[in-house]
Amino acid sequence: MAYNKKTGVVLAVLFTVFALLTAAFSLDLWGKPAPVKQLPLVNKELLKTETWRRSYADLVKDKEPLDDFDCYTCHEEGKKQVLKFDDKNQLVIPDEHKDVVMGHGTHGRNNNCFNCHIDDKLNELQTRDGRSLKFEESTQLCGSCHGPTLRDWEAGSHGRTSGYWNRALGPFKKQDCVNCHNPHSPKFPGRKPAPAPNHLRESSGGPEPTPIKD
Amino acid sequence: MIKAIHNYIIFLRRCVKIAFVGDWRYYAWMGLLTTIVLLGINAYCKQFVNGLIVTGMSDEVSWGVYIANFTFLVGVAAAAVMLVIPVYIYRNEELYDLVIFGELLSVAAILMCLAFVTVDLGRPDHFWHLIPGIGQFNFPASMLSWDVLVLNGYLLLNLHICGYLLYSRYCGRKPSPWFYIPFVFTAIAWAISIHTVTAFLYVGLGGRPFWNSSIVGPRFLASAFTAGPSLIILALQVIRHVTLYKISDKALLTLRSIVQVSMIINVFLLLNELFKEFYTGTVHVASLKYLFFGLHGHHALVPWIWTAITFNLSAMVMLVLPVSRSLKWLNVACVLSIVGIWIEKGMGMVIPGFTPTTLGEIIEYHPSANETLVCLGIWAFGLLCYTIFLRMAVPILQGQLSRANEGSDHLTTQPPPKVVADFHF
Amino acid sequence: MDSQPNDTPTPAPPDMNRRGFLRTSAMFAAGAAALTASLKPLLQLKDFTSVDKFLQKYYKEMTPEDMEKVLKRIADDVERQYQVRPHVRDLKPMDGVEFVYALNLTRCIGCRKCVHACVKENNQSRSPEIQYIRVLKMPHGSLDVEKSEHNYSPEAVPEKGFFYMPVQCQQCRNPPCVKVCPVHATWQEKDGITVIDYDWCIGCRYCMAACPYGARHFNFTKPTIPADRLNPEMAYLGNRPRSMGVTEKCHFCVQRTRAGRYPACVEVCPAGARKFGNILDPESEVSKILSTKRVFIQLKEELGTSPRFFYYFDV
Repeated sequence: MAYNKKTGVVLAVLFTVFALLTAAFSLDLWGKPAPVKQLPLVNKELLKTETWRRSYADLVKDKEPLDDFDCYTCHEEGKKQVLKFDDKNQLVIPDEHKDVVMGHGTHGRNNNCFNCHIDDKLNELQTRDGRSLKFEESTQLCGSCHGPTLRDWEAGSHGRTSGYWNRALGPFKKQDCVNCHNPHSPKFPGRKPAPAPNHLRESSGGPEPTPIKD
Repeated sequence: MIKAIHNYIIFLRRCVKIAFVGDWRYYAWMGLLTTIVLLGINAYCKQFVNGLIVTGMSDEVSWGVYIANFTFLVGVAAAAVMLVIPVYIYRNEELYDLVIFGELLSVAAILMCLAFVTVDLGRPDHFWHLIPGIGQFNFPASMLSWDVLVLNGYLLLNLHICGYLLYSRYCGRKPSPWFYIPFVFTAIAWAISIHTVTAFLYVGLGGRPFWNSSIVGPRFLASAFTAGPSLIILALQVIRHVTLYKISDKALLTLRSIVQVSMIINVFLLLNELFKEFYTGTVHVASLKYLFFGLHGHHALVPWIWTAITFNLSAMVMLVLPVSRSLKWLNVACVLSIVGIWIEKGMGMVIPGFTPTTLGEIIEYHPSANETLVCLGIWAFGLLCYTIFLRMAVPILQGQLSRANEGSDHLTTQPPPKVVADFHF
Repeated sequence: MDSQPNDTPTPAPPDMNRRGFLRTSAMFAAGAAALTASLKPLLQLKDFTSVDKFLQKYYKEMTPEDMEKVLKRIADDVERQYQVRPHVRDLKPMDGVEFVYALNLTRCIGCRKCVHACVKENNQSRSPEIQYIRVLKMPHGSLDVEKSEHNYSPEAVPEKGFFYMPVQCQQCRNPPCVKVCPVHATWQEKDGITVIDYDWCIGCRYCMAACPYGARHFNFTKPTIPADRLNPEMAYLGNRPRSMGVTEKCHFCVQRTRAGRYPACVEVCPAGARKFGNILDPESEVSKILSTKRVFIQLKEELGTSPRFFYYFDV
């Protein structure tokens, strides 16, 4: 084997390098993996499956007090209620009912309480084709104008269905319209969405892609 | 029979022994490579324990430098065939012994490929699931299963051819054509197939329009036959310098013409790709836009690809002009080709396939330090293997390591015996 | 003619002496020590595998007794790690069932409740975050996902001028991920769900490259699930906690749907935009939707994946 001075030097250098490496590896001198960033857990409220609203039927089923629906604690039985309109022909909601915000239909087209309620029978609802409905049957009232939606709801394509898709194995629940829609202002209000996704690697440089408005 | 095995074991022992012996340059080189390999092993252990989170990969860019290097090295492995074809088909005697050097490079490259794929796996302990018969091998549907078969088959083919030829030379025997000629011709077709199968890994994915293009296969082959022989040109000059093994300039110039033609084809295919995407201007041009010009403010790859294009074009010009007949300029052209193609085929192929993602996002990828150490470790391992193979092969080819001088443990300065071996076709 | 062996051999170096031998051996010894030391990080490997896990059979080859043992092992592991005893089952597909999903793009408001309900139901990692569902905010007039925005976080959704399109595994009839998996770790079952055997996956991530919908997600490190949010009702092919280094994806809540229930995303959607059921049953919601709605589409259908996920509208 070549044993000249140069080899000796090289061997000595290598010995030192390997010894240093041994020490460096044993002491974990570099490359400790960074701890995984702990992301905040989602608010448990967002995981709830209950509907935003509870229908009259829900309240009855849960045996909750129904005072809010007993109109004749304040109103006189048999008396025809009269609506007030302002000079722009917009409905004026009396202070006692100021929790009702009318927003049913664009341009205030449906802003007449007695399109759905009955002016002398406040504890029932009426359809345009003259049917009288109880509060638990409000879905039929909605459907009397929103025909295609009622058709879809009956098929299960509109509105939330929950429980068992296999009806033989368990119960299946279909919601009433008012479980999701406020009948006086049925369009869903805007809500804060759940948090955006957190990517493992944030892309560096440049703004997040935005929709190209071509 | 027992004697034959005994002789073979002696041969192997001597080969192993000689690998640990050398002059100061040998120790310095091997020491350097070993150091890098050790750093790579340490980095991989960290990855094994903590998972692939220590790399720069993500759900969006789920393949990175590991697969990029794998793709490049499969090309290098396939390029050994570029030596085999002139020798065995065109009967170019100049390149004769060089076939062994080229095939040994292939073996080293395949070992590197297998290493890169292994370090890329999320559960390497489940590797046995891939073994046909024992695990569940999704052949022929999965192109990855084809890759497993062709790469391992190619490894065995080359190991056999080199091993047989070298052992025959060691024994002073004329190698029997039946034991290597058919394998050599198989290796030619097989080499094309390993790189085509690797290309098909990418091409067969409809969800990735950047890859789902028929030009990927031909482009892979053209770039492989540029980068591979370039590496061999450089390696042969190193061998020539370090071991005084005689390699004529004519051999190097034959390889130069291979690199020249392949690079021209490679650039032509690139122009085809650019025209198809940029002229048509469908939505699918997004990946190429990201690569060349950046997209929506993300431009990490832009300097890389333009460097690669510059290198490739400069190399092509040099190779076409007679100036590259001089070894100095040829070497420059080779280095430019290798680096340019490594960038283009590695980062320039893998990453844009994932950017933008299938859902339109752009998440950029940067290899982490740990990932880089693992890559360097595997490259060093490959060079280590190749050096060891050469350390065994050159003395055998020169007659210094042969059955005739088995008695002496030390290599002496006696002139080598006249070797009878003479390869005929 | 260079077929003759080289006549100018490399000069053989002179013989070695004792000092040289010692020094060389010392260097090799130091090298061996460095090699051993380089493996030090492996000492921190905990709970990685066991003999049973290593030798565990492929799902389709397990006998019911094998599966019993495996389910018990999984339950033990979960209990040890989370101090919660889970109920792990292997639910088989029902006969005469092919699941189809329909999503009403007129109704989705982009609230992302489905994303988080899914995470809770399916025991996905919270850090790093894995979410099977990604809601895309799309501008009016285009289904081009490149125009989408994923990270929207306004004060209120839905925003004017945009619609929302949640994307998850489409359970394709012609799934590219199944085609490319080299070890058959992912396959399509009789009821249409494409499932993954997490103990068989080798983590090569080819399926992730193949999926056109970005539906498959990888565990880059050990997943983190808070023990108080663990869902103990588990299935082998479904929501049992995964290990590091394997892929996972939406499996239509196999632990719920194969027991006849709706997936978690359907249950939580406040707008009723999500519909799920058995397409082979003409009375199911999805059958009615696909037979009556005039407009419904599949995402990227030109790729030939034939998804079982349909986006429909209210006409």
